[in-house]
Formats: sequence, C-alpha cells, structure tokens
Amino acid sequence: MVNIDNLKEEVKKLIVDGKVKYIIGYEKGRNGLMSNPIFIRKPEDVEKLVWDHSCVYNLAKFLVDEKRRKAREKQPDTKPVGVIVKGCDSRAIVVLLQEKFITRNDVYIIGLSCEKTGVVDERKLTKKLKQKIPEKIEAGEKDTFIITAADGKIEIPAEEILATRCLECKANFPVIYDVLFGEKTNRNVENPYKTLENIESLPQEGKWKFWEEQLSRCIRCYACRSACPMCYCDECVVDTINFAVTADTTAEEKAAKIKWLEKSPLSSENFVYHLVRAIHLAGRCVDCGECERVCPVHIPLRLLNKKLEKEAKELFGYEVGMDPSLPSLISCFKDEDPQDFIR
Amino acid sequence: MKRTGVFICHCGINIAGTVDIKKVAAELSCHPGVVHSEEYVYMCSDPGQNLIVQAIKEKKLDHIVVACCSPTLHETTFRNTAKSSGLNSFRCEIANIREQCSWVHKDMNKATEKAIKITKSAVEKVRRNESLEPLSVPVTRKALVIGGGIAGIQSALDLANSGFEVILVERSPSIGGHMIQLSETFPTLDCSQCILTPKMVEVSKYPKIKLMTYSEVQEVSGYVGNFKVKILKKPTYVKADKCNLCDECTKVCPILVPNEFDLGLTGRRAIYIPFPQAIPASYTLDIKACPGLLPIACGKCFDVCKPRAIDYDMKPQVIEEEVGAIIVATGYDLYDKENMAEYGYGKYADVLDGLQFERLCSASGPTKGKILRPSDHKEPKEVVFIQCSGSRDPEQHYPYCSKICCMYTAKHAMLYKHHVHDGQAYIFYIDIRSGGKGYEEFVQRAVEEDGVLYLRGKVSKIFEEKGKIKVWGVDTLTGKDIEIDADMVVLAMATRPSKGSEELAKKLKIALDKDGFLAEAHPKLRPVESITSGMFLAGAAQAPKDIPEAVAQASGAAAKAVSILSQERLYHAPTVAKVNLNLCTGCGMCVQVCPYEALSLKDGKVEVNDVLCEGCGTCSATCLRAAIQVKNLTPHQVHEMIKACLGG
Amino acid sequence: MPEEFEPKIVAFLCKWCSSAGSDLAGVSRMEYPPNVIPIQVMCSGSVSPLYIFSALNKGADGVLVSGCHPGDCHYIKGNMYARRRLALVKKLLEYIGLEPERFQVSWVSAAEGTKYTQIIKDLVKELKPLGPQTKLRRNP
Repeated sequence: MVNIDNLKEEVKKLIVDGKVKYIIGYEKGRNGLMSNPIFIRKPEDVEKLVWDHSCVYNLAKFLVDEKRRKAREKQPDTKPVGVIVKGCDSRAIVVLLQEKFITRNDVYIIGLSCEKTGVVDERKLTKKLKQKIPEKIEAGEKDTFIITAADGKIEIPAEEILATRCLECKANFPVIYDVLFGEKTNRNVENPYKTLENIESLPQEGKWKFWEEQLSRCIRCYACRSACPMCYCDECVVDTINFAVTADTTAEEKAAKIKWLEKSPLSSENFVYHLVRAIHLAGRCVDCGECERVCPVHIPLRLLNKKLEKEAKELFGYEVGMDPSLPSLISCFKDEDPQDFIR
Repeated sequence: MKRTGVFICHCGINIAGTVDIKKVAAELSCHPGVVHSEEYVYMCSDPGQNLIVQAIKEKKLDHIVVACCSPTLHETTFRNTAKSSGLNSFRCEIANIREQCSWVHKDMNKATEKAIKITKSAVEKVRRNESLEPLSVPVTRKALVIGGGIAGIQSALDLANSGFEVILVERSPSIGGHMIQLSETFPTLDCSQCILTPKMVEVSKYPKIKLMTYSEVQEVSGYVGNFKVKILKKPTYVKADKCNLCDECTKVCPILVPNEFDLGLTGRRAIYIPFPQAIPASYTLDIKACPGLLPIACGKCFDVCKPRAIDYDMKPQVIEEEVGAIIVATGYDLYDKENMAEYGYGKYADVLDGLQFERLCSASGPTKGKILRPSDHKEPKEVVFIQCSGSRDPEQHYPYCSKICCMYTAKHAMLYKHHVHDGQAYIFYIDIRSGGKGYEEFVQRAVEEDGVLYLRGKVSKIFEEKGKIKVWGVDTLTGKDIEIDADMVVLAMATRPSKGSEELAKKLKIALDKDGFLAEAHPKLRPVESITSGMFLAGAAQAPKDIPEAVAQASGAAAKAVSILSQERLYHAPTVAKVNLNLCTGCGMCVQVCPYEALSLKDGKVEVNDVLCEGCGTCSATCLRAAIQVKNLTPHQVHEMIKACLGG
Repeated sequence: MPEEFEPKIVAFLCKWCSSAGSDLAGVSRMEYPPNVIPIQVMCSGSVSPLYIFSALNKGADGVLVSGCHPGDCHYIKGNMYARRRLALVKKLLEYIGLEPERFQVSWVSAAEGTKYTQIIKDLVKELKPLGPQTKLRRNP
C-alpha cells in the first residue's frame, strides 16, 4: 500500500531542501471525483496531494512542457522537476530518456505502485452510476471499489470500472524511479492483449467495419496528439501548422511543407492521420491511455497503438519503455527479424 | 516560373514500337510548367543532343526531362548535355520508358498511358531538384599501414615506391609477422626468412617509410582523405640507434618467460630480441616481464650494456599523425589448441599446432632444425598431422575452410620426412585443397616422393598413454577405424583474425564479417576495400590466405590507396542528407541507423558529415519528423511523384 | 461490355537491386501487365511509411516496395530497417481491415528479372478481383 503520509513527507522534504524546481502530483478534483494535476512549489501545498484510484492523468506529459519552457528562458533553472508517476507513466519517461528529449538529471521520479489494482475509467464509472454524482472512491474488501455519492455508498466490482489498460497491465509499478512507494507486485494477467484479440479475430471486412465506424466520428481535434507525451514534435508531419509562415520563410521552405492530408475530417483522411500516428508511435507508445481518455468522441485509440506494441514484442522481442539505454524499435534490427511476409 | 523541357526518344522502334511517342509529347506539353515538348528518333545521338542544347537556349529552359532508356545507360550523357548548356547537371532527370515500359508491354494504349505517367513523375521530381556541385575535400597525401607482416610490408613498399609517405605501425618489437616464423614456404620450399628479410631491410632503409614498431593505433577520427590518428609508441627502454646486438644483457637477465616467437616452445628473457634479423635491429625490454623499473628492482642489463643503449627513463608517447588513407593488414593468429576438447585442450606437450611445428623445422628454431619431441627431446618416428582442426566444423568451432592448411600440412609432412628419413608421416584429411600455381604438384610430391600417408577421415580423439599420443581416427576410403600410437601430433589449427582485431575494427569503425574477419565492401568486386571509405584491407586479416595472395592483395590495397592519395582533392556525390535544425529534436534514431556513421549529435541536434554520407535515405525514412532528408529525393518530391503516377 | 477493372499500382523500387532487376526484365523482353508505375528510390530503407499511406490515399489500388535481399544491400543494411518498418506497416494495415494483398514487399535482386516479372503478374492478378481501393482513397 502506498502510504500517503510518507509520500507527502518525501515531497515536502524535496521542496524544503530545494532539490527540485517543483513537483507535479495529483490533488482532489474540483469537478467531481477525478483528481487533477497539481504543481507544488511551496511546502504548504503538499497537504493537497492525493493518491487514489482517480489519479488517471499521465503527469509525464508536463515534462514535455517543462522542456519547452526552459528553452524559452535565457537562464533556465537547471534543477530537476519532480514528478509522481504510476507504472505506465514511468515508461513514458523511459521513452523520453531513450530519445534524449530529457536527460536523467532533468527529472526526479517519485514512483507509486498501483500494486494489484489500478485507476478507474471515468466513462465506465459514469455509465455504472447513471445519474449519481460520485464524490469519493475507496478500495473495498473483496476486489471492489466503494463509491461515495451524495445519497450514500455503492460497492462495485473493481473489474467493471477499472480502466481496461489496468486490467491488462503486467507491471503495476514504475520501471524507473528515484524513490518508490508501494510494493512491486505483479498483477496476474492471463492475457495482456485480450481486448486487442477481440478485434484481431474479426474477419477482414469486420475489422474494416469496426474501424470505419470508430474513426468516422473523428473530428480531427488532435486532442489525442496534444495529450500524448510522445507527440512532442515541434511540427506534426501530417499537419504542418506550428511553424508560422513569415516574411522570412523562403519559397523553398514554403514549397517543402507537404500537404499529405486534407484538413477536413473525411474518413480517408482520418484513417491516414491515425495510421501515421500509430506507426510513429510504434515502439514508443506505453499505453498510458491518455489519448483515449481525452478523445471527445470516444474512439478506442489505445487499441490502435497497442496493436503495434504487441507486434513489437512478438515479431521483434522488443519491450516498449523498459530500458532507456536501448535503441528505439525502428533504429535497430535483428538478423532474425521475420520476413515471411516478403516475397 | 519554372520552365521545363521534355524530350522523348523513339530509340528507333525500341520505344516507338509500343509507345505512341507523339501522344506522349502532346500530353506532356500540356503539363503545368512544361514549356517545351519534343520527340526525336535517337536522343542520345549528336543531333539528338543538339536538339536539347538548342531548346534550352531558345526556350530558356531551366529543367529538362529525357524520356528514354534506363538511367544506367545515359543519365550521365544527358546530365553532361545539360551542363554544357549552362544548366546544373541535377536539372536533368531521366524517365525510364524503355526497360520499364515499352520493352515489357504489348498494348500500345496502356503502354503509352504508363509512359506519360512515368514522364510526368520525372517532371515533378526535376522541378524540385536543388542545383548541386560535387563536394570536394583536400587530401592528406600520406598513408597509414597497420600491421607489419608480409601484407603490411608489401603495401608500405608499394606506397613508398609510388612516391607517398607511409607510416607503418606494428605492435610487436619487429616487423615480419608470421611469415618470418616460417621455415620454408610452399610450393617452392623457399627459405621464408631469406625471401622476407630483404623486404624488411628495404622497409627500414626507405626514408619515405616511417616505421613505428612496438606501437599501437589508439584512436582514429576523421574521414577519407583526412584521417587523424593517435598512435601509442610503447617504450622499449632500449635506444635502437645505440644497441649493437651484443646480447650481453640477456646473459644477466634473471627472468625467463615463454618466447612468443617460438610459440612457447622456448623461453626468453625480459630483455630480448624476438629473432636475430629483427627490424628495427634492437633489443626490447618487456616491462610486463621485468621485475620493475619504478623503483629499479634489478638493473643488471643496464650495468652490462657497454653502448649505453638501455634507458630506463623512456616513456610511452602518443604520436598524432594525419593521413589520407589507411590500410589494415593485421594478419592472423591460429585458433588456440585449448579449444579442442577432442584433441586434449592443448595440454599435451607433444601435440603442436602448425606454427609450433614450423619453429621445430626452422634452422634458427628451438631445436636448431631437428624435429624433436618437446616432452623428452627424442626424435619422433611416427607423426600424425590432422587437417581441418577447428575449421569446416560449424557445430563445434568454425564453419569456414582455412585455405592454407592442406598446403602447409603437406609441406610439414615433407619437411619431417626430409629431417627424419625413417619416420612415418600420416595426414588425416577431409579434402585436399591445392588450387594455386604448383600446389597440386607439390601435394603429389609429398605422396609420391616422400611417402606421406594420406588418410581420408577425421580424428575423433587423441590422448596421452605411456609416453605416446594415441590417435583414434578413421579411413573412410577403406571404411576402417585407425588407431595410431604417435610420437607427435601436429594440428592444422583454424586461421583466425589476429588477437585484438575486434577492438581495432571498433576503433576504425570498419565492419567485421560473421566469422570475425575484416569485412570487404563487396565479396566479388571489392575485395580490398572496407565499407569505410578510405580504409583498405590486405592479407589474412580479411580472410585466410597464402603468401602470394596476401602480397597481391597488399599491392591491390596500395593501388586503391594511391587512387585517393594521388588526387589533389576528393570528389563525392553531393546528394547527401540535410538536417532541418528547426525540426530536429536530437532523438538520435537517424544516427543509429546510418550505415556509414555519417551522422552525429552535436549540441542536441544532428550533424551530417557530407563526405561520409552516401545518400541512401535510411535516416530520412526513420525520422519521425521529416527533419532529415536526402537532397534531390525529398519526401516532397516523392509525394509529387506519387500524385503523378496515379494520374492526379 | 463493362471494362475490366485495372488496378493502379505504385512500386517503390530500390535503385541498385530491384530497379536493376526490373531493367533486366525489360532487356530480356519479358512481358507483364502495365498496371505498375515504378518510382525509383535509392534504398528500400528510404521508403517511409508515409509514402505507402499517401499512395493509398491518392488512389493506388496496390503498393509494392521492393529492395535488395538481406545481406546484399548496396548501402549495407538499409533493407534490414525497411524489413522491420514495413512489417509494422503491413500488420497495421491488415489490422484496420485493408486487404493484405494491397500492400506487398519483395526482395528482388539485379539478376532476378524473371522474379520481378512474376511478382508483378501475381500482384495484378490478386488485385483485380478486389476492385478499386476505396478505404483509404481520398474522394475528390
């Protein structure tokens, strides 16, 4: 069990000793059950820290923003940023380290183990509670959650409201950390790719029908891209909008902005956008679930990225986000890489 | 406003027979940006080329596309035509409408449609080409040869004879390699030292050759034409110019260690000369064997040295040199007997490897040329030679053939018989490989004149019993098991790249092949070049080979090196990678995939070494952000070409 | 009489092996259907997944990428990275329900004019019954 008081003590010590610039953690939600991120700079704010099953956000995303902020400062503070991470979030940090986006000294990792449980999927919870508004969530006795609402408590089996990725997660504890709270226990997962296989087992036209239906709702809001810690590119390949066209932009640069896709959310364009994103995340997506969480039209995006995570493991023996010293998936190869698909 | 001209060749009826040339010309003339569209029967001919020159002038064309045969045939021709008309050569692209269109299709309508698409695709590409000039870098007109065996010596002499300065680096105290250890060489039974020492002396006397023995290459940086090398010169503690080879020092040295030159069959002192004809002619103090110099533990050699050649204050030096080309001739070592479980793990004193037997045969060897057993110094009457020891054995050892063993085993058996007239030599073999000039006749001599008994079969086990070496083998031609009570066994151990090759290859960034030998750029057509531009391979370090092949390869490598050194400047294709620093995040994926190590990270962004980059584009496809692209085949160009191909 | 559907195929051929193999097919006067428009790239390793998706998006009914056999790459190992990358692209396209025949990879050496011819013939034959590729094609 993660002892919240020990956690607060550690965080306070780091702030008081001046070891970190600030610490990113979770605080009680201001709008319902789900906790919010908090940036703690003063010792008084440490009290606001929470750790419960509503701590869904991948706080590693803020490390990307931190780097951007530092790049704009003339004399940046080089102290590390403290960040509270779950197992999945820590793997995101591993990938950022692999790609030298941040260095190990830029971050002080406070790891929290989910132990045998995980975080809730807000949508599943809302569906379960129907009209009731939840205020608090606690673990129950027999693998259940006890939700406190205005009119009393409800006990729900954990399986029904845990995020699907938590049900399939093999490593519920951070793989990289400076300090760890909680036990390094492994959840007994029979099949980490169960929901994937539901789609893989569909016939070819069935697969198409599923994805066409899902991606037809896409409005190309790019929330998935904004929420993903791995989508830190200054300019997205499919949607070149970030670099302003000014008087200084040469004709060559203007011409070189390739319009791979139309901006309108036609099915074909939506597909290509998501396909390119998935392929660019191959070997980098750690299944933190943020893309799916933020999608306003509820597209099951993790099912797209997770497919390539599975292939990385099965075809190439590559485990995403485990070892920062490893080369990226696509920048290495093995002589035995399969080629049965090649004529 | 870009003005493109399209020129379509009939190629007689080769293209015109299946493609409606006039239609292609008409379609292309309507394509945006095309201001001139013309067809001619043979575009590559002089009148054809003149049409192009005229059109460029009259229509003020700034790009041209020639739709004709494969670019492998006439790309250079037409690029030169463009150049002669004042256009940059990259303003010309070829559309292959013959090999990949007219010659493989029969339906004229469809072939014409396809030819139009191919040509439009080429137009879209050429309009976005950058004007590029070949890159040129200055050349340091000096070479480095690593390894002072026969191959290194030959390369150094060839380079010096061509007028270039050469640095020859050898890690042992003398040049000569393994060849100087040999007694006689096949197929002539020439005295090895007699034919090698003149070359060695030549090396020492040649002013253009800077000989650095007892030295090792520590670091290599730079690129072809401009390498920077750091060489560690280890202290010999003996001033070579003062040493008069009087040998008084060895008489008083109390230390005895195994003598590498005799492969452990004899000992040597801590202060020693590897062999009498050593070049440089000087003794060396082996600091690892010496009881110590800080403080001086012994000092006896210094006391007796009359010419005052011994200098305990010598220090290691790191010498930096700049060279334009490097030849790697680091040679071979024999696979250790200790690896042969079936042959006694090298424990038995009377089981020798090929080089050890060579030393026994040698007149200057441990037994002054007499063949004697190391265990009891008796003359062996029954000697078994086992070929393919560790070679041709994919399950336990190495899968390849070591090439020289059949020949030197025949030689060893013959030399043995010449020394011990009443001795019996047996050779266990799988095949006899004697392909060189005079080699087959040499092997026959062993059988017919010297009575060597060849047994076709492998030896499964050897072990010591009552002072003899029992050999259990088989003769597959008669189908019988063979058991021999041998007095001595000689193993033709597999040839391996010399110890330290792997570390050196890493320092030089040259590749090794699957068996650990230095990898050549192409197994058939580029046997003396490594994959790294400017680094060449010679001798047994690249693959097992005999002396004539090593010499030939060494001369070949020297010739290749001369092709670099003889130029004022080196030219390199300019279609190299370019980094957009705004987009690069320094993730380093491209750096990892570059086959030529042409990319590096500097201050968090990627930098391209234009001279090393070959323009393959692997970096471009790996980059998630399109931050690195190859000039004149950018994703933008491919995007437009895709559109043109699909009729869009 | 309705016209038979003719698939439009874009082929990315590496200059040193596959394009040379295709040239050899021409020199040997072999015959294959004209559905494939070749784009010559330096190395199969330089084929970005974007090219494949874009070709399908612009209306290609099939895409072929062809390079040197492993171990023979002119640029030493570009094709090894291609192998990994394209395996992922193939799995991804299959997973979203695109017919697997529509994206193919082959190793064709400069000596394999016959093999190239056969690959094109097989490719066209497999794509004809599938009809036009509408799933990723941008409708005008």
